[in-house]
Amino acid sequence: MKLNNLVIKNFLRNLKNYALYIFALVFSVALFFSLLTLTLDETAMEEIAGSTPMTALFSVGSVTVVIIIILFVMFANMIFIKRRHKELALFQLIGMNRNKIFRILLLENFLIYFGSLIGGIVLGFFISRLLLMLLLKIMRVDMMVEMNFSLTAVVITAAVFVFIFIVLMIQNYVFLRRSSLIKMLKLNKTSESTGKPLGKMTIVLGIAGIAMIALGYYMSQTMFERAMENPIMLPVYMVGILFLTIAGTYITFKYSVAFILNMIRKSKNGHVNVNDVLSVTSVMFKMRSNAFLLTAIAVITAISITAMSLSYITYYSTDKMLDSTTPYDYTVENSEDLDFYEKLLSDNDYEIDRIEKSFMHYSIVRTDENTDLPEGEETGMDSNEIGIVVASDKEFEGFDVAENETKATGTLAILDILVSFEEGNPVTFTNGADFDRTVEVTDTTSDGILPSNLSFGLPVLIIDDAVYQELADNQPEENEEFEMPSELYAFNIVGGDNDEVLEMMDKEEHPSFSSKLLDYKEMTQMSGMMAFIVGFLGFAFLLTSGCILYFKQIDECEEEKGSYKVLRKLGFSEGEILKGLALKMIISFGIPLVIGLLHSLFAVKSGWFIFGIEMWTPTLIVMGVYTVLYSIFALMSLGYYRKIVRKSI
Amino acid sequence: MLLKATDIKKSYGNKFNRTEVLKGIDINLNKGEFVSIMGASGSGKTTLLNVLSSIDNVTSGHIYIDGVDFTTLKDKKLADFRKNDLGFIFQDYNLLDTLSVKENIMLPLSIRSMSKKEAEAQFDSVAGQLGIKELAGKYPGQISGGQAQRTSAARAFIHQPKIIFADEPTGALDSKSASGLLKKLQQLNETLNTSILMVTHDPTAASFSHRVIFLKDGQVYTSLSRGEMTQDAYYSEILDTQRVLGGVVDEAE
Repeated sequence: MKLNNLVIKNFLRNLKNYALYIFALVFSVALFFSLLTLTLDETAMEEIAGSTPMTALFSVGSVTVVIIIILFVMFANMIFIKRRHKELALFQLIGMNRNKIFRILLLENFLIYFGSLIGGIVLGFFISRLLLMLLLKIMRVDMMVEMNFSLTAVVITAAVFVFIFIVLMIQNYVFLRRSSLIKMLKLNKTSESTGKPLGKMTIVLGIAGIAMIALGYYMSQTMFERAMENPIMLPVYMVGILFLTIAGTYITFKYSVAFILNMIRKSKNGHVNVNDVLSVTSVMFKMRSNAFLLTAIAVITAISITAMSLSYITYYSTDKMLDSTTPYDYTVENSEDLDFYEKLLSDNDYEIDRIEKSFMHYSIVRTDENTDLPEGEETGMDSNEIGIVVASDKEFEGFDVAENETKATGTLAILDILVSFEEGNPVTFTNGADFDRTVEVTDTTSDGILPSNLSFGLPVLIIDDAVYQELADNQPEENEEFEMPSELYAFNIVGGDNDEVLEMMDKEEHPSFSSKLLDYKEMTQMSGMMAFIVGFLGFAFLLTSGCILYFKQIDECEEEKGSYKVLRKLGFSEGEILKGLALKMIISFGIPLVIGLLHSLFAVKSGWFIFGIEMWTPTLIVMGVYTVLYSIFALMSLGYYRKIVRKSI
Repeated sequence: MLLKATDIKKSYGNKFNRTEVLKGIDINLNKGEFVSIMGASGSGKTTLLNVLSSIDNVTSGHIYIDGVDFTTLKDKKLADFRKNDLGFIFQDYNLLDTLSVKENIMLPLSIRSMSKKEAEAQFDSVAGQLGIKELAGKYPGQISGGQAQRTSAARAFIHQPKIIFADEPTGALDSKSASGLLKKLQQLNETLNTSILMVTHDPTAASFSHRVIFLKDGQVYTSLSRGEMTQDAYYSEILDTQRVLGGVVDEAE
């Protein structure tokens, strides 16, 4: 029997233990390869990413995936080599030198690695088709999915993984060099720092950690308001918040969790039950020594959920955003252009719905009652006035506003920084001289009535016709440098717009127009692409952090095997022990998740309005999906524990 | 003289907080000799075994096997040394769960060039003597503790090393399996002329050996040779020494 035979045999029987590792590897390769195939597929890229920023986005995505994979694989490798110390020590005892053992590891890793590489590439090829279909669906582009097997992608993927392989081998070599035989034989007997009493410092730092996070949260909520006062401070605030939350998270894991669990333990006054033994007391010390890892996981979770939520908010808000900024199918410059297109389209059997409206610009002023309007000095404007578009309820159908009342249309959350209209607040119009008129906001809607190029991106106020006339009669002197637009020429296609109409109109010799359909396509493509890449990265993060926690649990389970045996011998049933372990899973997986979710919730809350209209629905959907996928890893760990507990007696 | 250790010292900890476990020990072992090391918990017996068997390194002192001082050897030479001259038996067997009994036993042969036939013959002879031949195809999870320890012993003997180091080999076994194993060890010691150095706290186990060395607080307290004594007389002699040592037995009235 030759050594290599034995090694291969041993490896094959050990394969079950490697299952998840291999699965994770195959998946990493598949993710990377499919992303690469997409990037390199020219026809697909031409269709979805005409501009360089989009391809750059893909490149950034690929690089991030590589970094995640490297870190993850190194961590997994460390856990697995530690688990095998017994074997490695035995090999040394029977007289193998380190170089030979290193060669065995090399051979094994080679098999695992390149097996996963090939598996991953095959899987990745199929996934890439799936991904492309998904991407096109998200971007709402109709295209036949056809993918070519890209040799370049294979070569790049192989190169990246050969590089990772070399890194791992260096890691293994260093591990072997550093560890002496006696240490390897004893490795399973030393456990992580347990039993150290919790000193006063723990209590102080425990409270400090939570306080730091709370302060970070508080600052994040007021960040933009304060930044308006002093824009230079914005980066300072951001760095401060990041520092507070990340350092706070670390301290929380290192001290606060132990501190809180210790309080629970003390409150039991020595009457610990089996649940406490398996969960509270075990986690208390484990969390401390894993503080760094858990912080990394919580922060990564927070970043990926935040990014996913924000991009999903953008994507989710596209329709509403468009309704607010581009309410009509087509907008043209004047009534001649309108006539031109009416003729063109009716010749082709399309009926249009002409929209010709007039409106006017008027100034509103900041008053003591209406403090929503920013003060002049802050916004850099000369006075407390701001120009806004007002329209009569007679001109625009579907509105009926009473005298002394107004309805604000096209209000977007992002505009709140400039000017916000809230129901019940007064608005005062002024002509800059002796005339002013105050009405009350009774209703707001995000739907717009004017395209944003006419309303200057600000909300439009609809007022009663009588008030409108009153304002018109008291127009300020025409002293503007340029004429404010006051006419809208637009039309809707009866029965809905479609590509055919757009194609017909979109000729070089035709007068210029802006199309909702075109805007819509551009917006969905951009936000869809963004959501896709971010979602993709988020998924990679989820997969790796879940696997890392799972490996960690396997490790702990092997360490605590003895305790289960003792408990079983003491007469606790499998079910009772598992209940305690389930609690442990909830704590071990739950705490990083909850902290991550909270971080991202506050992060999203502080800046979501830049990205879209709806915050809660998309954010909660992202968080829900993330939590569900993440829980799978907790359930898998519990399954592993169950197997061990069952076998322990 | 096969093994000769002079003035072995071993200490743990850092500069400020040192614990000296071995305080200068001299030990000799002749070819074909079966020696036990006894002592109370914490007397340093396992540390001594680890040091003598090259698993752990000494803080100071020299250990010669066949005239070669291995405390100065490099990893590669040391590995060769273990490969050819040393065999190990542990309290917790140290068998690989993924390999069958036969594969576990054959493991040390796999790293030297030996023909299949020769290896087969070696296995038959050792496994036959230990009475585990019929277990060859089973896995460690399927056999009893006594059988597992005999497998571990077979693995230690298969490459015919000069010395076998056994760390509490009977520690996890019941008395019947224990004496069964010790009889086999005694037998192999006689037929193959392999030296055995065994750490134990069990006087019965020690009574199978030629000589017992008693440790106390990291130093050799005394030693006891069996000579022409019967095993029973030897056993009570060991018990008496142990009592004087103040180790385990504390006769109640």
